[in-house]
Amino acid sequence: MAARKRLLLLIRHSPYGSSLARASLDVALAAAAFDQPLSLLFTGDGVLQLLPGQDSEALGVRNPGRLLASLPLYDIEQVYVDAEAAARYQLDLGAAPVTALALERQQIRELIESHEHLLGF
Amino acid sequence: MQTPAHAGVFLFSPAMIYSLLVMSAPASGQGAMTAARFARAALARGHSVNRVFFLDAGVANGAAAAVYPQDEEDRLRPWVELAEQHGVELILCIASALKYGMLDEAEARRYEKPAATAHPAFTISGLGQLVDAAAAADRLVTFGG
Amino acid sequence: MTLHTLNASPGSAAFTDCLRMIAAGDVLLLLGDGVYAALAGTGARAQLDACGARLCVLREDATAAGVLERVAGTELIDIDGFVALSEQFPRQLAWY
Repeated sequence: MAARKRLLLLIRHSPYGSSLARASLDVALAAAAFDQPLSLLFTGDGVLQLLPGQDSEALGVRNPGRLLASLPLYDIEQVYVDAEAAARYQLDLGAAPVTALALERQQIRELIESHEHLLGF
Repeated sequence: MQTPAHAGVFLFSPAMIYSLLVMSAPASGQGAMTAARFARAALARGHSVNRVFFLDAGVANGAAAAVYPQDEEDRLRPWVELAEQHGVELILCIASALKYGMLDEAEARRYEKPAATAHPAFTISGLGQLVDAAAAADRLVTFGG
Repeated sequence: MTLHTLNASPGSAAFTDCLRMIAAGDVLLLLGDGVYAALAGTGARAQLDACGARLCVLREDATAAGVLERVAGTELIDIDGFVALSEQFPRQLAWY
């Protein structure tokens, strides 16, 4: 692998309404598996991926919530969340499937500026 | 070298390596064709494009049997030309490709599907190819919608 | 310094989410349906003017939409200009 560029995934879509949630998590896991430095930021409807208790068995589809819970196995110990978006959906981040740090707008800008590559999903 | 602040003025920039990620479906909106034009323009400006990676609905850009209306731009040909004339690697993400029925010969045999459906200018491979390309790239540009 | 590209109409969640993240020093390139956000006199355009970012519109998409005459005050650029922007701005973020 070439020199390490820090990658930030910005995730805006809910878990089951489109294929973008799965696509973004697949990218995250691939980057982690290849030992590339990576951060995830959930904003907009993307924060809904952090709802606990997702149960997709009846739908017969994979469960992004459960995928998120496995992130620590890939050395991704925490994800970032847009505090305003979480508040809009009344999310209890303490119950999220993975440790989720709430960021205010200025902190989000700093997060963006501290990564070489960005991917919006 | 000076780099003027505004686009549209002559701008010298050292040659850079670009990786492109295409999420856009071929027949919906202009995202995919804008990506192909961007790739051509980047090459014309002296940059290299180390890979174009197609993910999610973007894999449909690789459909070998797509037929576009006579009075519209062919949405497959620009990609084939980038591959054949400029050696640009076009990769369809395997997980997305399978779901969208984009198969090469090997996958068609493996899954006992009637035919290969991906144009040979495209290779079907894993997300490691996107990660690898981005790690080597100076610029990572995504096209969606 | 980030190059934001918006390929969604001003009625979309992408527009709202993008506006939240964009800051002075960034550049916003409107593509596809995003060009409608630049229409002079609209609330969306007012929000864009207030966000502090440099505003660019992809000429071929504005031409298709028939809005070339109605996006004054933005920079109309072509694909070559899009690449030039990406040379200047090390990060690009797509909103769609």
